[in-house]
Amino acid sequence: MKPARPLSQRLIVWMRRLMVMTRKELLQLSRDIPIGLLLVYSFTVAVYVTGNGIRSQLHNASLLVLDNDHSFSSRELIHKFRDPFFRLEGEISDPHEGLRLLDRGRAMAVFEIPPRFHEQLVTGQPTAVQLLVDTTNSAQGLSAASYAVRIVSQFEQATVLARLGSADTSPQNFPVVESDHRVWYNPEQNDAWFESISHLLRQITIFSILLPAAALVREKERGTVEQLLVSPLTPFQIMLPKVLAMTVVILFATSVALFGIMKPAFGVPVKGSIVLFFSLTAVFVFSTAGMGLAAATLTRNQAQVGMMTLFVVAPMLLLSGLVAPMEALPPWTRHLMMLSPLRYFIEIANGILLKGSNLSVLWDSVLAMVVLGSGLFAFGVWQFRRQFE
Amino acid sequence: MNLRRIGAVAWKEWRETIRDRMFVLLAFLLPVSWMLVFGYGLVQDVEDIPFAVVDHDHTSLSRDYVYRFIGSRYFSFHGYIPGEKEADALLQRGKIRVAIIVPEKFEEQLLRAQSVGIQTLIDGTFPLRTDIVKGYVIAINGAFTSERLVAYLSHRRGISVEEADVLAHPVKVEVRYLYNEEVRSTWSMVPALVMFTLMVSSPLLTALGIVREKETGSIYNIYSSTVTRFEFLAGKLLPYVAISSVNAGILWLIGTQWFEVPFKGSLPFFLAASVVFVLSSTGIGLLVSLLVRTQIAALVITMVASMLPTILFSGLIVPVSSLSRGSQFQAHLFPGMYFTNIVRGTFLKGVGVEVLWPDICALALYALVLRSVGYKLFTKRPRS
Repeated sequence: MKPARPLSQRLIVWMRRLMVMTRKELLQLSRDIPIGLLLVYSFTVAVYVTGNGIRSQLHNASLLVLDNDHSFSSRELIHKFRDPFFRLEGEISDPHEGLRLLDRGRAMAVFEIPPRFHEQLVTGQPTAVQLLVDTTNSAQGLSAASYAVRIVSQFEQATVLARLGSADTSPQNFPVVESDHRVWYNPEQNDAWFESISHLLRQITIFSILLPAAALVREKERGTVEQLLVSPLTPFQIMLPKVLAMTVVILFATSVALFGIMKPAFGVPVKGSIVLFFSLTAVFVFSTAGMGLAAATLTRNQAQVGMMTLFVVAPMLLLSGLVAPMEALPPWTRHLMMLSPLRYFIEIANGILLKGSNLSVLWDSVLAMVVLGSGLFAFGVWQFRRQFE
Repeated sequence: MNLRRIGAVAWKEWRETIRDRMFVLLAFLLPVSWMLVFGYGLVQDVEDIPFAVVDHDHTSLSRDYVYRFIGSRYFSFHGYIPGEKEADALLQRGKIRVAIIVPEKFEEQLLRAQSVGIQTLIDGTFPLRTDIVKGYVIAINGAFTSERLVAYLSHRRGISVEEADVLAHPVKVEVRYLYNEEVRSTWSMVPALVMFTLMVSSPLLTALGIVREKETGSIYNIYSSTVTRFEFLAGKLLPYVAISSVNAGILWLIGTQWFEVPFKGSLPFFLAASVVFVLSSTGIGLLVSLLVRTQIAALVITMVASMLPTILFSGLIVPVSSLSRGSQFQAHLFPGMYFTNIVRGTFLKGVGVEVLWPDICALALYALVLRSVGYKLFTKRPRS
């Protein structure tokens, strides 16, 4: 029997094996040119395009106007519908034409002003304007309607107070409640901040699930995993370097996206600690990689891994709170998404970057993510060992 | 061209696909499960927004004002808190999204017929939600204000409440919601999900199927056989086009039967359009599979190339007309947008080929171009 080596020496051997294997993974990845190109594209061009192009709020909704009055008041009201919410697509003279253009998707809404609008307004008679909204996209349709109602009621309040004010007292002296909003963390409601951060998180998620999973299955498929298993490496030492190598690559790509694109192009603030952000990103990559590896151990070839991860990745991307806010999802989805590490990472990333939060605020999200991630990772290693021993 | 050889390749491909039991399961199960999960999960009606109140006034009128928010189904009441500092902490931890601050002398000023300001602090991390919350706050505040104003006017001028109401609100807005009269989120999401599911699953199946042949080396049998390039590609794609077309029918059934979304258009037109769409989306898979050698590369590239542009640029969430110019250009480069027009058009608007022909043409062109590029790129004499 061999005498047991001292702990320090064993640790050195352990670390060295880890280094060698990590280097092997990095080399293997660097020789895969399509994947490399895709990584570069996803963390630079794609982040820029998304941040620049996507507006989740109502923006430029195309509006047609049917003005039956052609008066001073009607024109004044119409001109209140403008950027950034509405875009005046033009005037029409026939209601049927409006419907036809709505059918064709050329316009999102038609705003109709009745004849004698100005006259009724001046003489204090009730009048009604009409709005036709395309609600094939219900969220946008509702939003357009709510902005339109808001614009009309502002117009209405201004005219009413002006008229009553001249008869009674000064316009301020009415019992009205002015609602004053302050929007925190993103005062200008800059969509580019949110969209570019979200896109970065999506890319991190996709790559951190797929890359390690695919790397493991590729070894299984080519049979090189047999070589690794007869080597003195433990299953843990085979899996950990794969995740480690991908984490290094993804962290590097993230910093390129953050400091190369998002900060200079959109002015995304980094209010909190950057060290904290990157360490927690690493934790997130580990958690999701564990998920991918668990999937990889359950499948035999890469095609299957792809389909398996699709079951997991697509719901994660769409339901974790990047596309629709958590409050918009039905309760069962909210409960199910407690199992998605991405859900916590969204809180963490937005917290650190936009709110300047530190660990004392984020601890519960971090804890949940760590528990989930280590659970998944342990499950992956256990599966792997069970298959080969 | 020899039809028998195309048939043989297609038959071989079909056998290969259905022998990989998991592949078959996923090819048919994945679209169905996505449809169900997203159809239920991706409802976009923002409700139950947690909010807290700082009430500096403590009067019956201030409580009445706050009660408007507590009673609304859009908000969920977190509690009264003593000051702005606590509001900050709760907002930062994401426990609440809105804090309402009622100033001192709220009641006193209103009763003296003076205007008062209410401050709301809104979490701005998610601009869409911020926007919706702002809309709700303005609506509730507007209702409260108008009641006060009407009461004041009727009292001041000695007229009835109805007369005062006309005086205060001369302009009514009649909103008519077209195509989706009850503005149900499910009705607008489910048809778009038919597009999303087909758009992501069909290129993936195709790409993996073709690259599998490259990776296992069985493609050399093809290189050395009498099968021509055209016959190989046609036969190879046939099973995947068939699977995806069947899926289109299944998804239509789920949409109309399970989610009870109305289908106002013509079914034959919809099915024909789906086949054209599937022809173009499998073309993306074909193209990817010709450019890469490994299944993993095919997988990652197809996913990134099909899933992200579809989520972002297809009109699934954000209408194409609201995108910036650059993104609109991108949107026109992917087939998803055209098919979104077709599904929403046939399901909800009840329009047919007379309106949707430009979209069909675009998809057909797309399929044709992708096929020709694929044909050019595929060679039986590979380098290296």
